[in-house]
Amino acid sequence: MSLNKNMRVVIVDDYTTMLRILRNLLRQLEINNVEEANDGDTAYLLMQKNPPDLVISDWNMVPVTGLDLLRKVRADAKLKHIPFIMVTAESKTENVVAAKQAGVSNYIVKPFNADTLRAKIASVFPATV
Amino acid sequence: MPQSANLQLPDAHGYLNRVIGELRALKAPHKNTLVSVLEYLSDHIRLTRSEIGALKAGDGNSQMFSTTTDELEEIVTETARATNRIMDAAECVEKVAASLEAAQANALMDAVTNIYEASAFQDITGQRITKIVRALQSLEEKLASLTSAFGPLDDAPAPEKPEGDAALLNGPQLEKTAASQTDIDALFASLE
Repeated sequence: MSLNKNMRVVIVDDYTTMLRILRNLLRQLEINNVEEANDGDTAYLLMQKNPPDLVISDWNMVPVTGLDLLRKVRADAKLKHIPFIMVTAESKTENVVAAKQAGVSNYIVKPFNADTLRAKIASVFPATV
Repeated sequence: MPQSANLQLPDAHGYLNRVIGELRALKAPHKNTLVSVLEYLSDHIRLTRSEIGALKAGDGNSQMFSTTTDELEEIVTETARATNRIMDAAECVEKVAASLEAAQANALMDAVTNIYEASAFQDITGQRITKIVRALQSLEEKLASLTSAFGPLDDAPAPEKPEGDAALLNGPQLEKTAASQTDIDALFASLE
């Protein structure tokens, strides 16, 4: 069972530390084609220029939250098919429900471990597992 | 009774005291009970104004919120810096691990992965501290609004300031106002 190592991933978080953690954990999964954004707007621009294969985004960001970004992605004909994983400290039921209703592909609660990240990425690409 | 919707508490307090004075001058029976109740209210307002004034008055209290906010933001900055240094080291270990035999490399890589996972504490604590900072800012705004409603408080008691050795306890220093080791060395040398 392996992930597509060539996939292009956009990671979004307003904490540069978390971006670095995600990038390092993805590198350990041999996924090196990673682009970073510090907020939802920057991420959306990145995606419009070059649609990625996967988005991994934090929720709690300003001014455009991860949920806003998710909704924009799902409303964009060019981007709406892209798997979108929310990685967030927001763990209430209503958060998960809202994300699901907005079309999130999977949901990771911080703090998380490398195995969880790998499993969730694999789950949104079932054909490659 | 003044009809202004923007009636301030000092106005109301002054009005209440005038009413008390006028009631005392009346020769009405049973007035003493009403006067006692109104005097109680008047005393209570004066005490509350004094306590609010203590929060408002003096440099120590006026800067309390901004200083506390600065301290909390400094925690976020410091933990981010420390976390990045830890990850610098972990990335070095990861590079070295790549040159080792499989068993050793795997052991090191597992340890490095643990370090990356644990480093997420900075994100979590940062978010919690940011929430506290926002709550403090909101509290500060509400307190400012409250003290404004109470009007000028010339009779407010001065805040208590630490004295003696207690006045020397102001650390840890904030980065934006921090003295460098060079500054300290120079100062130390100048005192010899």
